[in-house]
Amino acid sequence: MTATTSAAPIRGRVVPPRPRPPWGLYTGLLVCAGVTVWAATGIDFTLTPLFTNLTRGQEVIAEFFRPDWAFAWRVRERWIETLQLAVVASFAGCLVALILAHLASDVTAPPWLARTMKGLLAVERSLPDVAWALLAVAVVGNGALAGILALFAFNVGVAAKLTAESVDAVDRGPVEAATAVGAGGLQRAVAAVLPQVMPNFLSYSFYVFELNIRASLVIGLVGAGGIGQVIKTELSRFQYSHISAIVVVFVVVVFALDQISAWLRRRLI
Amino acid sequence: MSTVETRPPASGAAPATRPRRPNPWKQVTGSAVTAAIVVLCVLTVDANWGRLPQAPGILGDYVQLMTRGVLQNPMNDPYAEYWSKAFEYMVESLQMAWIGTLVGAVLSFPAAFLAARNISPRPVVFVVRQILNVIRAVPELILAIAIMLPIFGLGPLAGALALGVGSVGTLGKLGSEAIEAVDPRPIEAVSATGAPRLHVLAWGVLPQALPEIVALWLYRFEINIRAGAILGAVGAGGIGSILTQLFAARLWDRIGITLFIIIAVTVLVDQISAWVRHRIIAGGGKDAAAAEAEALA
Repeated sequence: MTATTSAAPIRGRVVPPRPRPPWGLYTGLLVCAGVTVWAATGIDFTLTPLFTNLTRGQEVIAEFFRPDWAFAWRVRERWIETLQLAVVASFAGCLVALILAHLASDVTAPPWLARTMKGLLAVERSLPDVAWALLAVAVVGNGALAGILALFAFNVGVAAKLTAESVDAVDRGPVEAATAVGAGGLQRAVAAVLPQVMPNFLSYSFYVFELNIRASLVIGLVGAGGIGQVIKTELSRFQYSHISAIVVVFVVVVFALDQISAWLRRRLI
Repeated sequence: MSTVETRPPASGAAPATRPRRPNPWKQVTGSAVTAAIVVLCVLTVDANWGRLPQAPGILGDYVQLMTRGVLQNPMNDPYAEYWSKAFEYMVESLQMAWIGTLVGAVLSFPAAFLAARNISPRPVVFVVRQILNVIRAVPELILAIAIMLPIFGLGPLAGALALGVGSVGTLGKLGSEAIEAVDPRPIEAVSATGAPRLHVLAWGVLPQALPEIVALWLYRFEINIRAGAILGAVGAGGIGSILTQLFAARLWDRIGITLFIIIAVTVLVDQISAWVRHRIIAGGGKDAAAAEAEALA
């Protein structure tokens, strides 16, 4: 106390030294600016159509404001199919992902296996949902089965990665205890790891289910069943009032699912 | 004698009893309901399950054809063009994703402040959050079909703008959460100097929240690369356009090359982006995994 009071008034206020200029930040900003210019010229970025062509989209947008509600009800079977695809694919995908996640974590698998699995999952996730859907349609033909397979492939990557991170982060105490009483790899996973990751895993499963509903548009657009298929046909017939009704219902469904799943996830964690 | 003494006194007082098993009815009903729903869906879905056993064989054949395309000498005549064409479209996808993310970042930046409870008044927060939720529910595909393609015409610009508007929902929501998580003391300190509201935001809030917000932008960039793929199918540019054409024509060697490029470029960009995110957030004590977990919350 006395030491500080006697030391402080020697030279009045001491201004701390200025921090060194952050050269790393400057180069980073420069790189970002460069990439932006390159990307903008690459895709011919311009906002002028917003002022000159705003009316060009008028007919389409006007059609969008006259949604044909009856149509949305007429295709109810496709809605149900969308839900069915999402349920089956997310259940199967998450189940497989749970096993893969245990193989992809240092906690439950030898390091070499964990590293290889993580790499494989990264490759698996790098393919977008359209690519999976196109592939599935090519293999099993148009229809719901292709949708299930495409969503399944997509889900495994997402759910396994997230769950593997949860497995990485488990409390090591129970794992050690299980090892101490002589548990094998499987017993250790079931008794010590699984109970810890279960809440997170269930929450990811809901998230994946939600993703599947969103992805069903994409999947259907390339012929793999669900409501997206309706959008595809109506798009080719320029029936925008039909599309708009479907879109509005779709948004409401996604919105509602979002809220329900957020509520469920809050309860689980 | 001494062994008894070392025992904790509590166990001496009360005989050791096994704790009761937790009531399992919740888990049991949960599992039963899930199982019932799944079985119902499997039985009622109009899927041609009979084709499933043949699928691995067919897929194997295709994979063989695709690897044959990838393994051809990429300097030879038709293949050199296949590689460069696929790469060109992938670059276009990256450009779309970058510009889209940037547009989303610019639009969502003020929205994030308006949606943060510690910055804005309650009614504003409520309204802005609902708007962000609605944007989040509209898929990019629809934005492209309904708004961007009619106005901007076919091409990557429409796709980039669809990605941009689509990003606003998530970026705004997660950004507002980052802002809500800032330490209130610097805000108080800046306010105590009599600074106007804008300065409080600029010097009290922004320096704390910015690293996380920038990390979110990068994360969204990674997502937009993947999300942009479908936009090609409706004519909005990017790798999806060539991919759908190739699949329609069943040119398996070219499909193999294109998928290879997608995987290689995406994995590379993901790695770089993850590294940058780590560096940006290193001081904040949060890492990429946490940001991702937050993206789910």
